[in-house]
Amino acid sequence: MSRVLVAMSGGVDSSVAAALLVEAGHDVVGVTMKTFCYSATPAHSKTCCGLDGITDAKRVADTLGIPHFVFDVEEDFTRDVIDDFVREYAVGRTPNPCVRCNGHTKFRDLMARGRALGCERIASGHYVRIEHGAERSTLLRGRDPQKDQAYFLWGLPTELLPRLLFPVGELTKPEVRERARTLGLVTADKPESQEICFVPTGDYRDLLQKRLGTHPALEPGLLVRRSGEVVGEHRGYAGFTVGQRKGLGGGFAEPHFVLEIRAATREVVVGTHDELQQDEVTIGEVNWHGAPLSPGDSLLVQLRHRAPAARATVGHVGDAVTLTLEEPRAAVTPGQSAVLFDGERLLGGGRIVSAARRAVVV
Amino acid sequence: MDPIYLDYAATTPLREEVVDAMAPFAQAGFGNPSSLHRWGRAAFAALEGAREEVASALGAKPSEVFFVRGGTESDNLALLGWCEAHGDGMTPTLAVSAVEHHAVLAAAESAARTGHARTLVLPVSAEGTLDLAAVADAVASPPTLLSVMWVNNETGMVLPVPELAERAKAAGATVHTDAAQALGKVPIDLRTAPLDLLSATGHKLYGPKGTGLLFVREGTRVAPLLHGGGQERALRPGTQDVAGAVGLARAVRLAVQELEAEAARLIELRERMSRALVDRIPGVRINAVGAPRAPHILSVGVPSVKDGSALLMALDLEGVAVSGGSACLSGAAKRSHVMAALYSPGDPFAAVRFSFGRPTRPADVDRAVDALALVVHRSEAAA
Repeated sequence: MSRVLVAMSGGVDSSVAAALLVEAGHDVVGVTMKTFCYSATPAHSKTCCGLDGITDAKRVADTLGIPHFVFDVEEDFTRDVIDDFVREYAVGRTPNPCVRCNGHTKFRDLMARGRALGCERIASGHYVRIEHGAERSTLLRGRDPQKDQAYFLWGLPTELLPRLLFPVGELTKPEVRERARTLGLVTADKPESQEICFVPTGDYRDLLQKRLGTHPALEPGLLVRRSGEVVGEHRGYAGFTVGQRKGLGGGFAEPHFVLEIRAATREVVVGTHDELQQDEVTIGEVNWHGAPLSPGDSLLVQLRHRAPAARATVGHVGDAVTLTLEEPRAAVTPGQSAVLFDGERLLGGGRIVSAARRAVVV
Repeated sequence: MDPIYLDYAATTPLREEVVDAMAPFAQAGFGNPSSLHRWGRAAFAALEGAREEVASALGAKPSEVFFVRGGTESDNLALLGWCEAHGDGMTPTLAVSAVEHHAVLAAAESAARTGHARTLVLPVSAEGTLDLAAVADAVASPPTLLSVMWVNNETGMVLPVPELAERAKAAGATVHTDAAQALGKVPIDLRTAPLDLLSATGHKLYGPKGTGLLFVREGTRVAPLLHGGGQERALRPGTQDVAGAVGLARAVRLAVQELEAEAARLIELRERMSRALVDRIPGVRINAVGAPRAPHILSVGVPSVKDGSALLMALDLEGVAVSGGSACLSGAAKRSHVMAALYSPGDPFAAVRFSFGRPTRPADVDRAVDALALVVHRSEAAA
């Protein structure tokens, strides 16, 4: 059997992924990424990749009888994920750092390092499935609809797909926990991590403040309507995301939401839920896992983690791709991912550049 | 095939004689050496016997030997305890070499941060020499403590500690050395080396982990960092670990007794490996080759490998256990402060430290050479 590198965060999913690979007879090497400087992290931090994560991963590896190493990827991670995160907020978009990390650090960089260890394949604890065909490999949604994580993997370099294994993709979360308990893994009942791993305080604005210093994104600006009417002030547009309701102040006859962030003028545009509906989506940095689709093709697009996919038709295809949704969706957010599916099969995806509402033909 | 351990500079197993010496005090002779009854007397006698054993191996007086709980504690006590004892109405100077162990560097930084000392870091050349003018400057304004390690843990380079001590003493400084890697590996005689303070640990020479010693020459003032009872003449309060002290003492005595023969054997292994690596791996370089080096450490620079830690991991997977330098908290390795002090940042190479011990045989060294050649080849192919 070939040697497989398994990315272990110290959580239960990757612990069981490692266990399943061992059971299948692979020569398994566990690796945890050290992504940022821990000395600034408060003790008992809950995010998975802190030192606790490393310790738990090492204990699981020991239980399984496999070697475990820590890869210091801080430099690459800072450049490809944290810098991007800060840059996106600075221009008024809402980044997806986990997508970025999967596309760059977690799979691409780990594979490159793994090959120096004689690893030909790489595995993780993501809830997705992969079919390895003769021509190409295809990612599919995980068997557990509650846990499916295909949304986060559209950015994986296509040439890497044949090297990937996702051992828990066929399982449900309760089954994974049950396996972990049976095997006596210390991570069996560990809670899910929710925070962004490099924002252990839970407030990303602290990080922006530290990295940007004084910057227009953190300066006060106006809350305006589409009509241009000024309805209030805000304390920095980096604190907002499209669809957000909190932080807009009161005094509206009906609930108001962020519709748009205009970095150039530091305006945050607000409006009603009805104004939030959009059905024309332009995506950039498009990554296809197979052949690109053509104008007129029909597909499913998922615009948020956990949101149901929307039926859409492909318009223009180039560096950017335009999609027309069959039914409008609320809060299509620039910077977030638009992930493309054919049924369960992941076709690829891109970053949302802009969204609009078609003129309604009467 | 059995894995090969070539990381004896990181730590060593207990030797049989040490286990035998400790066993009685771990069980039947478990008494507290401060107790007035027979259990206490027996423990006290064993503790003082251990002190004499260490003193005689070092050329010190028993009253100059203090048992502490490891090398890091010994270094901290030497530096910070000396500052504490010399801080009355003045700010003492701590002058440390740039290649010290973290136990010394971080203690010195802490003293500077808290205003207990001015700290100077003295550069070290690739030949293992310190700029004597810088040393002279550093010790010009007393009170000054000069701390220079005897054997560098990452490269094996031997620093000229007795000579430096002589000069620094002449200028009125107090001198400390971290001898963690030196004791039992290079001859140390405190009757002739004019040192005031010396730190060492048990686990580098087949003694127990968590044991250490601090030599304090008569007349040198050091204040305790911990406060409690009067143990170790109030310099290190806390009930002594008698079994540990006995184990440490036996390990020190045996290492010093066997030094000459074992050093010759280790040098042969080191040179065997050195020659084979130069033959097999193009561009490999022997770190600190221009400096006198300790017998048990061979540090090599592998060219055109960006990520040294990957090399160590690959060697581990091939069954060869080594370090890049010193083992650190989470096991993630960056270019160390020692390598940074010795080599320019643009120099692309990965440092690998092989260190040999009592169980090491020529066949182990040969297999390690094969493994390194294999993983270097593979990492070139992957790049």
